[in-house]
Amino acid sequence: MTNDKSISELLSRGILSENPIFKLALSMCPAVGISTTVMNGVMLGIAVFFVQVFSSVTISLFKNVIHPRIRIPSYTLTIATWVTVIDLVLAAYMPGAYAKMGIFVKLIVAFAIITMRLEMFACKEKVSDSFWDAVGMGLGFMVGMVVIGAFRELFGSGMILGYDVLGYKPLLFFILPSAGFFVVGLMMAFFNWIEVVYKQKKGAKA
Amino acid sequence: MNQILTITFRLTVSCLLAALVMGSAFIITNKAKKHNEHVREQKVVYSLLGYSDQNPAPESVHLHEVYRYVVAEAGQQFIGYLVPAPHDAAAPFTFVALDLDGKMAFQNPVNAAEEKIREAEDRKLAILEAIGPGKEITFAEQTIVVTDNGQRIAYLLGGKFPGFKTFIAVMMALDPKYTLLGFEVLEHEEDPGLGAEIEQDYFKNQFKDKPFEVLKGLDVVKAPLPAEYQKALEGDLDEAEIAKLMEKYRGNDIYALTGATISSKFVTDGLKGIAKKYAYRLGALDSVLKEQQIAVSF
Repeated sequence: MTNDKSISELLSRGILSENPIFKLALSMCPAVGISTTVMNGVMLGIAVFFVQVFSSVTISLFKNVIHPRIRIPSYTLTIATWVTVIDLVLAAYMPGAYAKMGIFVKLIVAFAIITMRLEMFACKEKVSDSFWDAVGMGLGFMVGMVVIGAFRELFGSGMILGYDVLGYKPLLFFILPSAGFFVVGLMMAFFNWIEVVYKQKKGAKA
Repeated sequence: MNQILTITFRLTVSCLLAALVMGSAFIITNKAKKHNEHVREQKVVYSLLGYSDQNPAPESVHLHEVYRYVVAEAGQQFIGYLVPAPHDAAAPFTFVALDLDGKMAFQNPVNAAEEKIREAEDRKLAILEAIGPGKEITFAEQTIVVTDNGQRIAYLLGGKFPGFKTFIAVMMALDPKYTLLGFEVLEHEEDPGLGAEIEQDYFKNQFKDKPFEVLKGLDVVKAPLPAEYQKALEGDLDEAEIAKLMEKYRGNDIYALTGATISSKFVTDGLKGIAKKYAYRLGALDSVLKEQQIAVSF
């Protein structure tokens, strides 16, 4: 890993070139399980975003005192702490959303993307870099969830953000869990295609 | 060895730090959470009474909270009720204890602010202070008597009973003749799609307006829900038709939920048990209050 990454590079890496869902294929359970509406995607995205940022910064701050033999338990402990805090805050200040999301928020403890960023990045890099990396990854996850959610909500129930836009329900299949796999697969292909086209153009120019 | 000690020490310290963070977050958010719960409970209370934001409760409607305690004193047991006193009384609350035969045991005025009575711990201390030393009290439950212009219009009872997996917490409303006005599930962990259907209108509304006579012997039948009844329960028909169908099925047992007979049975038995016990207890309390001429606000 190099230390001379700029903020925009760190951000775009999380959102595009190393997008947790479409590129790294991590944390697929939530991507498949609850991305049935845009709102679900946004809510879980926000929760993951904060957990990722807080955990990355915490680990980056304490990276010198974390014993290498127990780094994974330390990560888990850190993530669990922040998940609990965010769970409590959501329950207290957003009870309506929490009633729907509560059960998934607790699951964030086991999201692979967060542990992976701590292991790969935060435990080696500067606090500021870790912060921006976490912001990028959190946003990337949120974008992924929202895109999948929008696709499934539109084609599954004909709505976007709960507003009826199509007036009919094209394919109920898309809001069923199994459709999550298909949508994620299609999206992955789409993102890869964009990258290939982009690289070709860049190559042609140079 | 040295390494093990270092690891142990560092893990312990990080756990303590984590506990500190979580503990502070809990303390900061707990008040807001309690407030939310209170607001939600109030909303459930008013919706059970048939009021909503469009149709708010009139000023003349008052809620009077009654707290029941089990009192133990030297091998003897009493049932104690903390009842609100009328506005002009010297102390805002009275603690009335009945013996197990439903006869008057003792009564004490309780002088404490209303806010204090709402908090479980403060309430207990206030009662213990009022009834004197040598007695142990255990909180049993809280019920609400609703009055409109001084006339009782409903009783609201909270309750908890076992469900298929864990406990089901409900709030139910009875009218002064103990006819079930309706109930709301506050908390449950039944299976989605099966037992969790107890939250649905087509199940909940089956209990609506069941008279006490029916309620006392209410049971569950394993039969398909008739289509016309389901439509009425879900409010898909016009009002006159719904009223007619509800009347038709009023004396019937509860149609069990498909695939969740046990949940249906537990809810039915739970509501039945709460209503029966309450009717008995309130009868005893009322007769004592009348006999002893203890003035209460309801």
